[in-house]
Amino acid sequence: MVSTKPQSGAGTEHGSAWGEAPYPVLVADAQGAVVLRNAAAGALLPAAGPGTRFHDVVPAWLSAADQAVRTSGAKAAQEADAPLSGVIGDRSFEAHPSAREDGTVAWWLVDDTDHLLAREALRLERTRTAFLTEASSTLLASLNLGRCMDVTASLAAEHLCDAALVIAPTHGRRLPVVTCLRDGTPSLSHESVDPDDVPGLGEALRGFPPVPSRWIDPSAAPDWMVPGEFGEVGSIVITPLPGHGVPAGALVLLRRADSAAFTDSEEVFARLFAARAGAAMSAARLYAEQTSITDVLMRELLPPSLHQISGVDYAGGYRPSADHERIGGDFYDVHPAAVDGEASLVTLGDVCGKGLEAAVLTGKIRNTLHALLPLADDHQRMITLLNTALLNSHHTRFATLVLASAVRAGNEVQLRLTSAGHPTPLVVRANGTVEEAETRGTLVGAMPQAPAHTTTLTLAPGESCVLYTDGITEAEGGPMGGVQFGEARLKRILAECAGMPSESIVERVQMLAAQWIGTGRHDDMAVVVISAPRTHHLSAVDGHTRGRFTA
Amino acid sequence: MTTMPPAHLRLTTVDSEDTVRIELHGDLDYDTADDLLAEVTAVLGARPHLDDLHLHCAGLGTVDSMGLSILLMVRRRTGQAGVRLHLDDRPAVLDRLLTITGSLNYLTGSSPGGGNSASLDVGEAPGAGDEARAARPTGPDGTS
Amino acid sequence: MSIHTPHRAATGDTVGQLADDLWTAVSAGDERTATEVVLGALERGVDPESVLLDVIARVQGKVGEEWAANRLSVAQEHAATAINERAVAALSLHPAARTAPTRGRITVACVDGEWHALPARLLAEVLTLRGWRVDYLGAQVPGPHLIAHLHRTNSDAVALSSSIATRLPTAHAAITACQAIGVPVLVGGAAFGPDGRYAFLLDADAWAPDARAAADRLAAGPLPRPRRDHQQLDDLPHLADQEYTLITRNSAALVRTVFTALEAAFPALRTYSELQREHTAEDLAHIVEFLGTALYLGDEDLFASFITWTAQILTARGVPARSLPPTLSILAAELKDFPRAVCILEHGTAALTRPDHGSRPYAPVDRSTAESAS
Repeated sequence: MVSTKPQSGAGTEHGSAWGEAPYPVLVADAQGAVVLRNAAAGALLPAAGPGTRFHDVVPAWLSAADQAVRTSGAKAAQEADAPLSGVIGDRSFEAHPSAREDGTVAWWLVDDTDHLLAREALRLERTRTAFLTEASSTLLASLNLGRCMDVTASLAAEHLCDAALVIAPTHGRRLPVVTCLRDGTPSLSHESVDPDDVPGLGEALRGFPPVPSRWIDPSAAPDWMVPGEFGEVGSIVITPLPGHGVPAGALVLLRRADSAAFTDSEEVFARLFAARAGAAMSAARLYAEQTSITDVLMRELLPPSLHQISGVDYAGGYRPSADHERIGGDFYDVHPAAVDGEASLVTLGDVCGKGLEAAVLTGKIRNTLHALLPLADDHQRMITLLNTALLNSHHTRFATLVLASAVRAGNEVQLRLTSAGHPTPLVVRANGTVEEAETRGTLVGAMPQAPAHTTTLTLAPGESCVLYTDGITEAEGGPMGGVQFGEARLKRILAECAGMPSESIVERVQMLAAQWIGTGRHDDMAVVVISAPRTHHLSAVDGHTRGRFTA
Repeated sequence: MTTMPPAHLRLTTVDSEDTVRIELHGDLDYDTADDLLAEVTAVLGARPHLDDLHLHCAGLGTVDSMGLSILLMVRRRTGQAGVRLHLDDRPAVLDRLLTITGSLNYLTGSSPGGGNSASLDVGEAPGAGDEARAARPTGPDGTS
Repeated sequence: MSIHTPHRAATGDTVGQLADDLWTAVSAGDERTATEVVLGALERGVDPESVLLDVIARVQGKVGEEWAANRLSVAQEHAATAINERAVAALSLHPAARTAPTRGRITVACVDGEWHALPARLLAEVLTLRGWRVDYLGAQVPGPHLIAHLHRTNSDAVALSSSIATRLPTAHAAITACQAIGVPVLVGGAAFGPDGRYAFLLDADAWAPDARAAADRLAAGPLPRPRRDHQQLDDLPHLADQEYTLITRNSAALVRTVFTALEAAFPALRTYSELQREHTAEDLAHIVEFLGTALYLGDEDLFASFITWTAQILTARGVPARSLPPTLSILAAELKDFPRAVCILEHGTAALTRPDHGSRPYAPVDRSTAESAS
């Protein structure tokens, strides 16, 4: 395609119209000799005087274009919409040919250097903005420090340099460093080095005083800073990663000797990226610190995992009221006997209230009960002392609980059970009968006295005692909605559980209660099952226990 | 079932010469129980010579453990103020909760003084303390 | 095959014999013998991975089949599963199964509401054997716990297990949440379909038909990092019609209405005991739940196969289930303003009345809840 300007210019032929045109114009004849040039062309290509060979005096790209026009015509020589273009001197030109019947071709050269520069600047800016946006969303997606360091290193290696190092500040002796080569995968190492030995690194890691990016002499870079297979380093810049008021680390960018050095604008751009990476890394660091504090505190409050102790099977399950929490107002523990042959103590209880506040009170109760373990053979005494310990003039936060002392005797398990104002434990007999344990008492922590009545019973092999909190029985839901799970349903379900292992009973009760609730609200729910292990096989279950398909 | 906003507790206070009656309508739970305590505290403060405080419970919905905790606090406050607490027209679910937790007698016993007047009717309560057994009340038993 | 144990693959015969022995012990509720079978195999040099997948997993599959055929009671099925789980635990502590981690870190979890932990547990053990560092989170992991765990641990990938199709909407939420924080998700389990079609529909990063394939996939190279701009709705544009949301949210009311209509249609229902009525209501709720899932996925076949499977389960238990088609038509009448739901229900009815099903007499539907079926 030929643009309109050269056409109008070509129309004037020998006139002076194009002779004084602001565009350089060169005309070559069919033999490849320059026949005409205007003043502008003379300034641009002083060597291309009339009579010279076009081939010898113009850059190769223009010469090739001329050849193409002569062999296949001006239209075919030009790609669909893209004008021919190339560099002459230090400027960029579009070349528009105009072939004439006498075999001469006039070349109009349009300087588009500034246009190209503007376009290139715009493209670069768009690329950078897109990259920064992508970097931000990738970085902000994770609250994991390791992941943020990995992402920072690989983004930097991909977009800014040939290799990148992300170094996190540490309180320890060894410096965590994530290294990533372009197109490589980030890898973590720990370097036993003093950051102050590298110019600018110590300050960057301390984050104070604020320091700009720092160039260091590649030959002064310590070995650990240069990846093994990297080759000769051309330039290194150390950029601090600013955090939210706390230092987030340092970003080290390396370029090879054969890569271009960093320009000012690239350095500014690297700092913009560093600001985003630093923000993400310091958020991740704060999250990790908070999480580790929570984890340490929570460890004491989490329900323990239960298993067999001294020939008695224990299993427990817990579901806090809120799915995002792991603790709540229900608790259970199994304390093995100090002396072999004596009873282990099982405790399960429920404090009033919910969430963290309730969980903290469960911690207090569990600690108190632990301290009272030497008195475990006297449930009433434990309860009385616990009641006294919890009584507080400011509030009436109470707890209800069950104490169960279990000891293996032959194939059987002897149980002593005491309820302190708690829903009655249920006993699942081998024949599928479900009994309520005959114990009752008062809640602890709100009234001056806490009398309770203890009962004893025996579990034959395959029989179980189920302790639970009212979160199970008071769970609301069901297929029609708004119906309580209730004790009757719990007993019916337990009747089907005759002979099951303890953990299966826990799981089944939890599962059916959870399905009952569906997506509705519920309270904390805890279940503990104490079982006498079956001696051989499923003799307790005759295979005729009705399943769920009772019609 | 989707999550429903908790039903609000509505308190209606009816005043007579030496008796105050508070009618409770709705759920007494984690979200609402403090309202009852505030109301009782206000009543006790305004009526230093009060003899009887009646909580009219017929309109009560769910009572959770926080609700019970507040009832126990109300009982403690009225005891300290020398006021007799009455829980009137208790729905069956409330009676059941008070029975299981062994607090029925403490909350509904006639004595305005402290002490939960031990309330077990079954066998011995070893180590419960002599005063617990000695103070057995004649009122409705809490654990039957 | 573990890269840290010498080549000790059992022959098919050995493995088959072991599976028979384990089944005998497990079906008798004999935990000690079951554990002896498993540990004995390790002592004789059978590859631990093969014991997990060709012996224990195979026996667990049989437990499910026997339950579906009504040859195992609920209690027996649970006891058998518990014994299998204890056998896995015993295996994992055996020196032959001890493996030092040489690979990255994988989190293995069941979708919230998924109570069948054994398939995920088996995968966790296989990955451990193959040198991964594994965080096994167990059954029914709430989404927020999973995400908090991933923030804490920088896992390379999540392996998510689900056996029941009705958990797929929840699984989708979990998949999207993991991907949103840049962790790719490999899914597995019966819920995703025998060909993994729902895995692809829900845009999981990978799917595996079994534990061995999952381990192979993870060993083959890192899963691609998920796209960050991914929105749940992108996968399932049909959700814009709100049918799923409206029907799921009001399922209890819907069950009540249909139950009343069923009573009118089947006067015998009024003579049912309270328990029978509740079971019937639970079956209705289950049908609505599957309808909701089919709406969520935009997949009529899912509902059709559920309803024919239900008919088979009922038949296996000698329960007459004449009312399945009328129940679906009552539901369809109730949901007449929901064109996609009506279409799915009609598809289900058609599947039921095809010759291989239609000749069977159906009676009022009782329990078809099959939470233990896999």
